[in-house]
Amino acid sequence: MTDHLTAATLSAFADGELPAEEAAAAREHVDTCLPCASTLVDTWLLKSSIGKSAHRYCMTAPCEERLQKIIGGESRNTATAGDASMRPRRKWIGYSGWIAAAAMFLVLLSWTLMQFRAQRVASNEYAALAAEAGDLHIAMLASSAQPQVVSSDRHTVKPWFQGKLPFSFNLPETLPADMHLDGANLAYLGDRPVAQLLFSIGRHRASVFVEQRTRTAQAIHLSRAGFHVIGFTTGDLELIAISDVDPGQLRALADAVRAAQ
Amino acid sequence: MVLLRWRQKNREPAAAAPSFADLALPLLPSLYNVARWLTRDAAAAEDLVQESLLKALRGFESFETGTNFKAWIFRILRNAYLTSRSGLAAMRTIALEEELQEDSTVPESIVNRRTPEAEVIRMRDADALHAAMEKLSPPLLEVLLLCDVEEMKYREIAMVVGIPIGTVMSRVARARAFVRKELQAQWKATREVGR
Repeated sequence: MTDHLTAATLSAFADGELPAEEAAAAREHVDTCLPCASTLVDTWLLKSSIGKSAHRYCMTAPCEERLQKIIGGESRNTATAGDASMRPRRKWIGYSGWIAAAAMFLVLLSWTLMQFRAQRVASNEYAALAAEAGDLHIAMLASSAQPQVVSSDRHTVKPWFQGKLPFSFNLPETLPADMHLDGANLAYLGDRPVAQLLFSIGRHRASVFVEQRTRTAQAIHLSRAGFHVIGFTTGDLELIAISDVDPGQLRALADAVRAAQ
Repeated sequence: MVLLRWRQKNREPAAAAPSFADLALPLLPSLYNVARWLTRDAAAAEDLVQESLLKALRGFESFETGTNFKAWIFRILRNAYLTSRSGLAAMRTIALEEELQEDSTVPESIVNRRTPEAEVIRMRDADALHAAMEKLSPPLLEVLLLCDVEEMKYREIAMVVGIPIGTVMSRVARARAFVRKELQAQWKATREVGR
């Protein structure tokens, strides 16, 4: 028998994904073909078993709590201010001093909370940005492709970004010993164009991401999955240096780039 | 009268758009489950879900209310996985296989209704099923999870994975064929040990 349904057709039929005409033809065939009917039953059985048993992993309570906090931060942001206008009017004249003091206290409290929240959101954003920069660096290491501009000459690399970035930056005239400029890529971090400067430090590779400064100044130094990340700002620029090299050498590279701005 | 009705209509409060929390919280278990299957590591899965949520939060303004949030956030999770260390490593080791041949028809031998994979499934051997699924390559595993566990339509899976619907169809079929083959092998091995 050579006119059996293909495995893909049977599978799609089991999922209810065939167009009406094809589904009708498949149904007609299955009604008269025992092998196809048998395979269809097995596919349904397999689909149902996977559906029931493959939801096997549950996150730990602390993880769930942490993620809910991340999400909760946003929902509080969109919460309404309350229903003050619905409250009944009271005889407040005698208590005006207390009311004014309470109002000032509330304003102060709100302002402090807002500052705290803004700092936390900025910190989350920055951590996400550092993670994204780390991913780009790892992707660059994994790729065999050449940088978009291959040159150790700062007078070649810097002009290459003309018209590609809405800002400009400088490259150090001299680098610390055993460090070389390899080239650069135009990359995107958080949907914004950035310069990814590529350096060699001995046999290690390092990326320095240069972007326009849009948030409050932050200096960070953290380690993530064996990579060191140094974040710093200079004037209108925000820079993130990443490498798996010794932190001291990465710091020396970051200092050289910072001094050039 | 018409004016009054217009004014009344304007006074009705507009239906509030669901917040990120409303949409994302119910999906946390699913996101984690898929992340855990893909990364095969609890800590990596937690990191992946957290990173995806942060990215989704940052991009939520660009999300069009009323469109498919589940497909949108799963696409973010998948992209985050692809650029993660485990994702890069997994994808590097996979040769792009040929899509399922359209002429791969049902073999005659399947006429036996008590097939080995059916026997394993009927025995409710979830471990055997999980072991078979763990051997799936990430491109096949992800479509199988989205289809059978998350119950997404092929159209939604195509949106998440960024491939044509026809490719989703063949990948789902190939994933199932692979799992069946693994279950058959396990069943045969069990029978030989039992003899």
